[in-house]
Amino acid sequence: MDKLKIGIYWAAACGGCDCSLLEVNEQILDVAAGADILLWPCATDAKYDDLRGYSDRELDIVLFNGAIRTEENRDMAQLIRAKTKRLVAYGACAHTGGVIGLANLSTRAEIFTTVFGAEKEWPQALSNQAGHQLHLPAFLDHLTPLSDVVDVDYVIPGCPPPRKIVSEFFSALLAGDLPEPGAVFAAEKNLCDECEREREHTQITHILRVHEASPDPEKCLLDQGFLCMGPATRGGCGAVCPNANMPCTGCAGAPADVSDQGTAMLNTLASLVGTGAEGEDQIEGENAILEQIDDVIGTFYRYAAAKSLFGRRYREQHGQTN
Amino acid sequence: MNEKSGFEPKIVAFLCKWTTYAAADLCGVSRMPYPPNISIIRVNCTGEITADMILSAFEDGVDGILIGGCRPGHCRYEDSNLKGSNRVYLLKRALKEFGLNPERIREVGIAGAQGLIFQRAVEKFTADIRALGPSPVTDHA
Repeated sequence: MDKLKIGIYWAAACGGCDCSLLEVNEQILDVAAGADILLWPCATDAKYDDLRGYSDRELDIVLFNGAIRTEENRDMAQLIRAKTKRLVAYGACAHTGGVIGLANLSTRAEIFTTVFGAEKEWPQALSNQAGHQLHLPAFLDHLTPLSDVVDVDYVIPGCPPPRKIVSEFFSALLAGDLPEPGAVFAAEKNLCDECEREREHTQITHILRVHEASPDPEKCLLDQGFLCMGPATRGGCGAVCPNANMPCTGCAGAPADVSDQGTAMLNTLASLVGTGAEGEDQIEGENAILEQIDDVIGTFYRYAAAKSLFGRRYREQHGQTN
Repeated sequence: MNEKSGFEPKIVAFLCKWTTYAAADLCGVSRMPYPPNISIIRVNCTGEITADMILSAFEDGVDGILIGGCRPGHCRYEDSNLKGSNRVYLLKRALKEFGLNPERIREVGIAGAQGLIFQRAVEKFTADIRALGPSPVTDHA
């Protein structure tokens, strides 16, 4: 059998996704035996021109990690889409925009001011450096997940994708046993479905952050007041974070039947808080508990701000109201 | 935001069938006019209004959302209205961070016999939203 031709590419990413590919340990040798890696900027020396030289749909599959932040990210996504038969959104940034999607709550100018200071210090798309013309890819106004710029065939969620899922994906790939396009390599149901902690359905009377107390390892983290995103997050990772006594932060995105992860969690949490008081006192008491959440978007939309019902559209006008 | 001339706000009102919806009904049968800007959606309880419903309405181009239910302690379904209220409270905080004025959502608790209060509430909310101007989300819907 001919070897598979695969590619791995990173756009706006931290590099963790590339590392996570090696988490499959010796299985990576099977991958190397069954597939030629034609593109992997993190590990190989292939140039963009090499990629441009391939015929359309020549590659079998490309794992694309990172979000679309610059023109280069977008152009490469489109080029890769043309050169590959199957495209995988690998990791939270490609899937939902990821942590860096929170940048969509700020305008481009705000981001540049924070990072580079005064406007005259901002990097220019075209500049002369020591007699050479330097071209930098433009920084797009908003960050988007991969699926906003090209069609995506598969999703491997997670920040980074957990070993178990990556390993299952490679096994399926090497066996020529990939599912129909559209599949997500994770569970359909939410994380609570596979979490072994005991749920007592007690009311949440106070919100705790992880540095404030040590969670009881047997009981549901939400019951104890830790903001665990489990109810609004796709399972499939094996509840690795709750098993390590840390609340889920929601990296796998929304479960199959949920469109917006943040509002799903918001709905859930609003019904869980309680003080035992009734009437007017109840509202005040419960709102006071909810007030303890320091960072609403950063908690509910930590990975999905760029893909949220609202962030997606509204960020275009951010800063021009009120 | 300055007042926009000629701007007619689109408002969706989610009304609890036991109280505020009954008040709206009373307004109607009593021939008490209220602004035609609102489209009423009857719900069993304000506790069934989810954050996604509100966000979807904004995405569809609504300028303001009025939520009318029972007053605290008067809910037919134990404290369901308060759970709905918690959601709105959290959602308003989220909207602020997303850059939308949280004043575009208003909660009222109006009993079934208070047709006049409903009429005034709609008039006031419509005027307030008119003053806020079109929802910025609308421009892209």
